[in-house]
Amino acid sequence: MSPEILYALRDPAGVPTQPWLFLILGALTLALHLAAVQVMLGTGALTLRGAYSQSSHWRRLAAHMLTTSKIAVSVAIVIGVAPLLFVQVVYDPFWYTSNVLSGWWVIGFILILIVGYIALYAFYWKNHHLASEGGRSGHWMVLSLALLLLVGYIVHALTNQMLFPEQWMAWYAPDGNIEPTGRQLHYSHPLRFAFFIALSLPVTGAWLLGYRRYQQARPDADADYIAWLKPLAMRLLTLGGVVSVILGVLWMLTLPEKMAWFALSPWSVLALAALLVTVAFPLLLGARIDRGYWGYATFGVGAVALIVVCAVREVLRYVTLVGSHGYDALDYTVHMDWYSLLLFLLTFAVLGGVTLVYMLTVAWQAGQTTGRYSPSPALSWMGNLSIGLLGLWILAYFAIGFYVWAS
Amino acid sequence: MEFIGLYPTWFEPGVGSGWIIGIIATVHVLFSHTAVGAAIFFAFLASYAHRNDRPDLLEFIRRYGLFLLVFSYVLGSITGPGIWYSTTVGSPRGISALIHNFVWMWATEWVFFVIEVIGVYMLVYLASRVDRQTHLRLSIIFGLTSYTTMLVIVGILSFMMWPGKADWFTDTGVLNGFFGANTFAQLAMRTAFMFTMTAVVGGIVAAGFKDAQFKRDVARKLAWLGIGSAILGVLFFRWYMATLPETATLIMSNRMPEWFPIGVIGMLVAVAAYFIMTLLQPRALVATGAVAMTLVVLVFGLWPGEVTRESIRKPWVAGQYVYSNQVIGRDVPGRGIESEIPLLEEHGFLRTMVFLPEHLREVTPDNAVEAGHALALAACSNCHSLTPTGMRPLQDYFTADSDIDAIVDYLHAGLASGNTLYMPQIPFTDDEAFALASFISTLTLPVTDTGATVDATEPMAPTALVRSGVEANAGADSAAGSDTAGEAPSVETSGQPLAALVSSPVAPREMNP
Repeated sequence: MSPEILYALRDPAGVPTQPWLFLILGALTLALHLAAVQVMLGTGALTLRGAYSQSSHWRRLAAHMLTTSKIAVSVAIVIGVAPLLFVQVVYDPFWYTSNVLSGWWVIGFILILIVGYIALYAFYWKNHHLASEGGRSGHWMVLSLALLLLVGYIVHALTNQMLFPEQWMAWYAPDGNIEPTGRQLHYSHPLRFAFFIALSLPVTGAWLLGYRRYQQARPDADADYIAWLKPLAMRLLTLGGVVSVILGVLWMLTLPEKMAWFALSPWSVLALAALLVTVAFPLLLGARIDRGYWGYATFGVGAVALIVVCAVREVLRYVTLVGSHGYDALDYTVHMDWYSLLLFLLTFAVLGGVTLVYMLTVAWQAGQTTGRYSPSPALSWMGNLSIGLLGLWILAYFAIGFYVWAS
Repeated sequence: MEFIGLYPTWFEPGVGSGWIIGIIATVHVLFSHTAVGAAIFFAFLASYAHRNDRPDLLEFIRRYGLFLLVFSYVLGSITGPGIWYSTTVGSPRGISALIHNFVWMWATEWVFFVIEVIGVYMLVYLASRVDRQTHLRLSIIFGLTSYTTMLVIVGILSFMMWPGKADWFTDTGVLNGFFGANTFAQLAMRTAFMFTMTAVVGGIVAAGFKDAQFKRDVARKLAWLGIGSAILGVLFFRWYMATLPETATLIMSNRMPEWFPIGVIGMLVAVAAYFIMTLLQPRALVATGAVAMTLVVLVFGLWPGEVTRESIRKPWVAGQYVYSNQVIGRDVPGRGIESEIPLLEEHGFLRTMVFLPEHLREVTPDNAVEAGHALALAACSNCHSLTPTGMRPLQDYFTADSDIDAIVDYLHAGLASGNTLYMPQIPFTDDEAFALASFISTLTLPVTDTGATVDATEPMAPTALVRSGVEANAGADSAAGSDTAGEAPSVETSGQPLAALVSSPVAPREMNP
């Protein structure tokens, strides 16, 4: 595909803001989405591991991880909407072509995800007393994890197919015969997929450290259980981190020729360093991990590392498409729309910020409270403010809408 | 050579991409409208429960919330992006047009999605662990947030039909595209409908309550909600209809299956009867009845509604400038968008399509059928299945006694001008029309009595229908060129609209999409 053809596929409507903003938001939200996906997979695997254990600690962990995994699927889906939106804005020729070429799998993604999620709930419904009685009907959990991995693989293939415009015609019309059913996934890089899946090990390790710290703050904290969690979390973090780094290096060594420059670039070194810092962080903390809020810090560092990985991944995509195919995502025609940009920024930063802080603080503190929880007056005021901001938003919608309609 | 940015085509030979998009959209509407309605109903119930010291109502919220968590938020949250996915493969330039115009509106809606998902988990899992005031606050936040998601998406859906303001094409700001009469009429209609759905689906949970008094209270509240919202829904539907462009009304009266209005009216009567019954006799509220009513609403209300909404904006698929076959058929000066029709008129599809094997760029006697297949994929298959099954199979529009010349005549007369109701302007070049006709002639075309008189209820051989169109259309082709692209049928010959001459004989076959 020549650059002219790729540009011909670009949407003629242009974009309503400078393209770099979409790239940044895409990388940021992808990192959050990946974190939720990796927690979902890791806690799901821990559920399966613990549900059938004789150890009461394992079964207790399995019960908590099952709830975590269930919620993490929802969070992964809802956060995943954002990078899905942004990739279509600046990489539309690539994303749409890749999807159409595997249309059958794109539709399959929806059905597989629904079945995978329902299977997770099926396991949950069968195991209301998981901690005390152990697991039942584990096949639902196995099915769920297998299907969730499969949807991850589909997205992996779609994301990679974007990067090979030189192959698109051969995939669409092999030997010159058009094959429009989209029943093939055309390209995958197993080591790249394995790297991103393996990251769920250290991410889940970091999550467990935070979970352990959270348990410490409960008035009915079980010191024995908390002590048992630490080596498990550390093993997942360090061994999982090493496995991830090895897979990452293998991915770099097997990059396609046009991307080979990336392997030894400062970008990949930066990503490697971020991962290693995350793995080493609890070791550097030592005994401080049980003091203050340091127990949560490893997950924070891990989240930053994921942002670095996603940003570096974006560099790989951007430079590959500019360098090998002459398509510059940053030269999209801009038709600035200040209203919708400001609406988003205000909704995100002010309304979303206040409301989410209120809700998450309530959830956090209620979880650490024995009996019925009542928030502080300041926090309750924040809840009222959230309601006020939502009311104001709706009022503004109708006021502006009626004004535009009437004028 | 200049290219037009048509993507490859995804063609599902069994049911067609159109049905898949429609099914996913319909299921999503069921889930999402119920979820939004339930969220607002929750807020009302929580407020009522706290003011009247009725903790039993909070138990209803908790149980209904758990049910909804799976019914709406698990399935709704997947089918929502599912619509994106399905339109991405079924109509990539259509969804692209919406995203490139409204990306920040969608991003704003995403913020509300995040709050909403956290909210539903908190309402379910913290119902008995937080004090009443906090629970009430969470319920109100959840209800308001859910409704804002509808406020945002309705503006985008309205744009799909018809940009809010007429001057959007020159001043393409989001506000001009987003807000208009159709936006508010559609919002009112959908709001009423979501409460009807809430009342119907809420009955599935309420039916299971053991406390007779409590069940009676909830059943009555749901019944009043259902009756009131159904009455308002009918009124708002009439308002919505009044905001539609003339072509939409024409298509609705000519192209929709005959059972649609009967089905919708029957559904409304059934809903009203059902709620009157549960109002007078709350014991009649049983889970199987509520499930049956949900299915009735799904099949006789939602399905016709979504199919109609999808159909009445044809031939456009987004903003009255992207045709259903993905070609840009109208200038949008405010965005520097130019119609691709002039380029197609000059060079045709085969020389300007990106995704085409090189040996098909020139039509020859040897490759005519294959080139015709490629053209049918690109220009027709979004709305017409190329196999005997699926949406509006192409083969149903022609008869076995149609020869290639007759089909060519029809393609030129019926499509090149853009004056066939419901169809995009498709200016095939002569060799392309020949290629497409060659492909169509290989399909299993229905056999008819060639000597039969044209009957409004039977398909007609293009030979006959095209002749009348061509003769009447003499000299009118140039007038129906790019200058009129995107406008309602307007070219008249011999005192008759060209659309009537060309399109009416094929209409009967479209009565069963």
